[in-house]
Amino acid sequence: MLNKTIKFVAGIGLCALGLLSAQAASAQSKLQEVLSRGKLIVGTGSTNPPWHFRDEKGNLVGFDIEIAKIIAQGLFDDPTKIEFVNQASDARIPNIVTGKVDIACQFVTVTAARAQQVAFTVPYYREGVSLMLVSGGRYADYAALKAAGSKVTVSVLQNVFAEKMVHDALPDAKVDQFESVDLMYQALNSGRADAAATDSSSLRYYMKQNPGRYVDSGFSWNPQTYSCIVKQGDSDWLNFVNVAMREAMTGTTFPLYKAAYERWFGETPPEPKIGFPSEFR
Amino acid sequence: MQTFLDQVWIARWPLWDGFLLTIEIAISAIVLGTVVGCICGIQLLFGPAISRLLFRLYVDVMRGTPVLVLILAAFYIPSVVGISLNATQAGILALSLFAGAHIGELLRGALQAIPPGQAEAARSIGLTFPQTLTYVLLPQALRSALPPWINTGVELIKGSSLLSIIGVGELLLKTQEVIGRTFMTIEFYIFAGLLYLAANISLDQLGKMIERRVQGR
Repeated sequence: MLNKTIKFVAGIGLCALGLLSAQAASAQSKLQEVLSRGKLIVGTGSTNPPWHFRDEKGNLVGFDIEIAKIIAQGLFDDPTKIEFVNQASDARIPNIVTGKVDIACQFVTVTAARAQQVAFTVPYYREGVSLMLVSGGRYADYAALKAAGSKVTVSVLQNVFAEKMVHDALPDAKVDQFESVDLMYQALNSGRADAAATDSSSLRYYMKQNPGRYVDSGFSWNPQTYSCIVKQGDSDWLNFVNVAMREAMTGTTFPLYKAAYERWFGETPPEPKIGFPSEFR
Repeated sequence: MQTFLDQVWIARWPLWDGFLLTIEIAISAIVLGTVVGCICGIQLLFGPAISRLLFRLYVDVMRGTPVLVLILAAFYIPSVVGISLNATQAGILALSLFAGAHIGELLRGALQAIPPGQAEAARSIGLTFPQTLTYVLLPQALRSALPPWINTGVELIKGSSLLSIIGVGELLLKTQEVIGRTFMTIEFYIFAGLLYLAANISLDQLGKMIERRVQGR
């Protein structure tokens, strides 16, 4: 009996010790945890070019992936020390909150509502909606589309806000909604639609894939900011990630950001201006 | 069509990997689910009252919850209490628990369908309860439980596609990845559908074959 009691008490003591050490580990910053683990665990998707998708060889590639590599480069001086956790878009916040991933870089749109649940890093892209036209087609640019009024048909991805989104830019245009991206582009190719309206980044990437076939209307609207997200309450980790990302857009690692931007969007981002740091202007 | 076939050829390995993972997940879930289900089915009928109650609760909760909810629960709840399962493990856990409840219930039904005279006769010739179960009841129950058991397997192959939600790279997610790159939505979904169909028809035929063997004696 006594023996059993001793074992029981010892058991409880061990459990308490375990809990305590777990507590101590969680008091330590994520930054230390990641460094001692030797790899960064990044949550992202695999089905949305040019952000995060699989190339023909099955490797995860895209702009989000490059941002993750920039952060890993800052941590380990080695962009390959990453474990990507594949997650659906609606798993982005739960996976951060439950600690399944260290950071999520998965075209997360910054909103105040989301900022109540997770911490946003500095932004790395500003998404918008653009109009793509067939080059040499009936309408040359945004002004021509707008002038044509209700004669213009715009193809968009099916979505509750699609109609309003198009009408914000072209108030009189007819809106044709399609279930998938390929059908939306097909409508443009077949002449059923005069323009396709979708995310600027997707259009840029698509135009880069099909050089010379399409032109941008020159007008973009519907701004939304993309940032990575981390768990709230760990300022050392957030600060580290912010520094790594900010310096890729303004400082020593700019060549990495620039190369990624050119690769996925087919454009060169503005060079950081030498002299007074522009972010304080 | 030609470009589609080219794209299938380019994507053959990712799709094949996804297909294999789908099959692996389904097999793991049916094996684990069968183990759980056998214990569950026997306990539901012959267990002590407390055990009957607990297994009844398990079966009702599992059967009354959508598989998708089970999958999300298996993925998130363990990590809240500090157990870290990866997506595939969590998915197999959810599908096994789901299958365990279904198989438990169908085994209970099959055992109950055996006329009580069988067990009484076994007892009267001096067989112990484990012997009665092994030699008299289970062989008969398993025979009548076989068709619905195969059905559960088919459900699991289809259910494994839900694991794409938590990021398991099975056939559906691999297909979506290929669609993301090629924009050939309809073609690749039909292709994936045919693969699921082929797997399920094969399983069905396998089931029919086993059925013939155990019945035809």
